[in-house]
Amino acid sequence: MTVLQDWLGFLPQLASGLWVSVVVCLAAIVVGLPLGLALALGSSAGSRALRWPAIAVVEIGRGAPALVVLQVFYFGLPSAGLTLSSTMAACLALALTTAAYTSEIIRGGLQAVPRGELEATEALGMSRPDALRFVVIPQGIRVAIPPLMGFGVLIFQATSLAYTIALPELLGRAYSIGSSTFQYLSVLALAGLMYAAVTIPASLLTDRVERRMSRHLA
Amino acid sequence: MAQPVTDPAAAKSTGMDVSLEHIVKAYGEHVVLDDVSLSVREGEVCAIIGPSGAGKSTLLRCINLLERPDSGTIRVGDTTIDAGQEVGGKQLHGLRRQVGMVFQSFNLFPHLTVLRNIALPQERVLGRSRAEAEDRAMELLQRVGLGDKPAQYPSRCSGGQQQRVAIARALALDPKVMLFDEPTSALDPELGLEVLAVMRELADEGMTMIVVTHEMQFARDVSDHLIVMGHGTVLEEGQPEKIFTDPATDRTRRFLRAVLER
Repeated sequence: MTVLQDWLGFLPQLASGLWVSVVVCLAAIVVGLPLGLALALGSSAGSRALRWPAIAVVEIGRGAPALVVLQVFYFGLPSAGLTLSSTMAACLALALTTAAYTSEIIRGGLQAVPRGELEATEALGMSRPDALRFVVIPQGIRVAIPPLMGFGVLIFQATSLAYTIALPELLGRAYSIGSSTFQYLSVLALAGLMYAAVTIPASLLTDRVERRMSRHLA
Repeated sequence: MAQPVTDPAAAKSTGMDVSLEHIVKAYGEHVVLDDVSLSVREGEVCAIIGPSGAGKSTLLRCINLLERPDSGTIRVGDTTIDAGQEVGGKQLHGLRRQVGMVFQSFNLFPHLTVLRNIALPQERVLGRSRAEAEDRAMELLQRVGLGDKPAQYPSRCSGGQQQRVAIARALALDPKVMLFDEPTSALDPELGLEVLAVMRELADEGMTMIVVTHEMQFARDVSDHLIVMGHGTVLEEGQPEKIFTDPATDRTRRFLRAVLER
């Protein structure tokens, strides 16, 4: 049972790597999600001055691979005079990706709110911001929650890209253990299991929430 | 129950008068409203009937500018709006403050309870406190026969109940004119009756009402003023009883025969 013994030996370092991954993922979501909502509202706004910049950010954020954004933030920005720690760069880069993708998910949710309800707010004399705040956003977010949770799982997996900017997250730790012990197969397999230990329950939870939501809508 | 020419309804009226002049609305080539004028006195119940595609709903929606006419004048009480000009937010708000609307599809907010559906617009539009708004909401719910439903969500209510909630929601803002866009068309006949009863009561209280409807009995019994529309114009208008018994145009006669003889 040497494999298990090895794994026990790797575990403390990998666990601290997992913790970094989780923190970066949560930071990306906490920063990215409100930004995503703002971009969703911006890209469906009537005014061009709001709409075009929002669409530009969304398209760039979705068009550029997360790995490239990460590299730009960590290796590119210092030449523009902005030097970020690897944690900061990872959080911000993934937050940007999160914002761009979630804005499209949220926009879909907002558009799912029936047109008639908006007409009702107009006929009642409610202002546009009030209609958004009390009628459209609460319902739109509810529709968007299952796909947002699904995206959360993806962005958690995407934190592994940050090993390329020397962030000591789970994959980074596994890689460095591998390069000193040469037990790549064993340590990477364990790292993979640890990612799965987070993503599989999260995906199951997403499925449950999705079923609940659709039951509510029916 | 046709009203005499000097209208006693106006005496106990809680409403305002409405007039539309030379309303034109086209979608591209297709002219939906072709120079329509109409005037509704204070406290009067005006029913608009006619075949589908006649422009009835579009005309109704022009009154609170949910639909923007290409030209023409809309006047409600002493708010006058020239549809050809830019309409300011304040003007639009002033108009909509006076006018309540009930839709065919109810358009309640499904994520809010019945009580919150009625209270929220009062809080946001009239600045009433939550307690004040909910008191008023309860009072109106009782009036439309739904005093036991405040905590329910709309999806748990029947169509007739939802439509009565929608009427209460509009009334809570103290409108001077109520617009009804086919309020019973989405309902089973039996449930439609509950809604018609509430509307009848409202009419008796002297509310100015403009009702687009396929309920011929309601148009005949409750309205004071009947308008028959076809092809974007008013085919004829006047006392309901007279139009029902002796229509002036051939088109009206055909329409009435089609709806009454089914």
